Amino acid sequence: MNATTLIVFVAGVLLGAIPAFEAPFVQSLALTCLMYAGLAVSWSMFSGPTRYLSLATSAFFGLGAYCTAWGLGKLPWPAVVMLGGVAAMVFAFLIGLVTLKLRGAYFAVITYGLGELVKHTITHIEKTYFRTVGRVLTETPSSTTVYWTVLAIAALAVWTYVAFGRSRWGHALRGIGMDEERTATLGVNPMRVKLVGFCLSSWFAGALGAAMAVRWTYIDPHTVFNPFIVFQTVLISMVGGPLSVAGPLVGAVGFSLLSEWLRLSLPYLYMIILGVLLIASVLYLPDGIAGYDWKKLWRRRKPEEKP
Amino acid sequence: MNFYLFLDLVVAGLVTGGLYAVVALGLNLQYGLMRIMNIAHGEFLMLGAYFTYTLVKVTGASPLWFIPPMMVVLFLLGLLLHRLVFRRLAATSPNAEAMEARSLIVGFGLMFIAQNVAQLIWGGGMSGQPYLDEPVKFGEVTVAANRLLVLVVVAAASLALVLVLKKTLLGKAVRGMLQAPLGAMLVGIDTRKLHPACFGLGLALAGLAGGLLSMVYELTPAMGEPYTISALIVITLGGLGNIPGAIAGAVLLGLVETFGMYLTSPSLKTLISYGVLVGVLLLRPKGLFAR
Repeated sequence: MNATTLIVFVAGVLLGAIPAFEAPFVQSLALTCLMYAGLAVSWSMFSGPTRYLSLATSAFFGLGAYCTAWGLGKLPWPAVVMLGGVAAMVFAFLIGLVTLKLRGAYFAVITYGLGELVKHTITHIEKTYFRTVGRVLTETPSSTTVYWTVLAIAALAVWTYVAFGRSRWGHALRGIGMDEERTATLGVNPMRVKLVGFCLSSWFAGALGAAMAVRWTYIDPHTVFNPFIVFQTVLISMVGGPLSVAGPLVGAVGFSLLSEWLRLSLPYLYMIILGVLLIASVLYLPDGIAGYDWKKLWRRRKPEEKP
Repeated sequence: MNFYLFLDLVVAGLVTGGLYAVVALGLNLQYGLMRIMNIAHGEFLMLGAYFTYTLVKVTGASPLWFIPPMMVVLFLLGLLLHRLVFRRLAATSPNAEAMEARSLIVGFGLMFIAQNVAQLIWGGGMSGQPYLDEPVKFGEVTVAANRLLVLVVVAAASLALVLVLKKTLLGKAVRGMLQAPLGAMLVGIDTRKLHPACFGLGLALAGLAGGLLSMVYELTPAMGEPYTISALIVITLGGLGNIPGAIAGAVLLGLVETFGMYLTSPSLKTLISYGVLVGVLLLRPKGLFAR
């Protein structure tokens, strides 16, 4: 057992004890933190090293949620969550085959477009074949079960980020982010590596969607395929810094606390502040909080202290 | 489908396509010249629509009076935004790809800000200020006068822009920057002045479309989003930086949407647009008219 596994395990056990205190507000806040941590870490797993700006997270999340809507009650809970992840993975594989050839803004726009396409397709299917616009989820598992499920997925995401980043695949992904052609000449098959990374990261978003769907009790395509999910994920990862696992974690905790504080009191102002934060972070912290050289502030101050 | 219905659909498609063209031309300039992937472009259409709407409501005069000053205001807003945000972004981005990705995120930020500011000031959706909505008859074909007006104005605006680009020295400079950014700088084209101006022009064009829309459709803080997506599709269809291509792409998309909606169902509009976008990106990622 190496250090990372140990840290993730200990943190997981400590966080897993929260339901024992029977403080619903704390537990719900922790659940939000964990969901965003899981989404941001899994997003950074692929988009951090490759610099591919994927906006497909909402689609993965929504597909997972719809797996729950269709499968809850028919399948056991762990199977439903697994299935949600697998559905997202299949979708990621299919769109990855064609979109991962593109680069830059084209990739971002097309992943966003495909997500919207899935949303409208599911709306259409539900309307035409099931004569419904949304679904009420009954027989939902207890909130503690949901909490532990999300905790497990988030912990697995953190562990996978570190393990995957250290593996040959992680090095290959970073190489592709720096110079794809040079990496290819070094004997890496860029398409295969990118596809594996993209699918791997999609599983977590799908599984989180499947697990979080039961929190809403009523779901419709506009809630679970909400583009806001991917905006928040990207924001957290970019503000935190997607190049280390600490970045998305710091971002997720800070963001969840900030939004909990602002959303209830000032909903529109909350979105405006979010927009300003997003722009400011892109302009002044291009590598995120975790990627910023904080020691620089220290070094700059030092000469001034001398007489 | 009889002949008159066909003509009706063609006119409707041309009106939609013309609006798309005006919005897409601005975005094409921003993206083609500065690599600014301005996902908030449609938000300036929304602001233009709300400005016009408010002024008409307060004064009761014709909206046409307010569209030119509103475009000037948006142009100045564009200069300010470029100065505050995009200039620094361009200076700190290591390459064009980073610039695209980072401007996309900035665009999302601007979108949050613009939509929620509009929501705070004007509240949720409200009906437009109908202007000139009596029908005009051409033989058997009936068209609402305001739609005809929209068509004429957008056609004139697109044509004027194309002429300026083709015939004037200023237009030549802009075309030079589109073709070879570095070369343009080497032959003495002042990109530091022309970039902000083109960015502002893009906003003003989006505002023009918004001002025209306020006479025809309902206003909501999110009304700009579909136009941003359409503009992206149009740019993809026409090819980056290709101005005549973008106009052709816009008209094509307008017609495809109108006929597609008639033949299937109006609820499938978004599905059709995204279908076209995905199809084009996969089959002809360099645009329909790429050589």
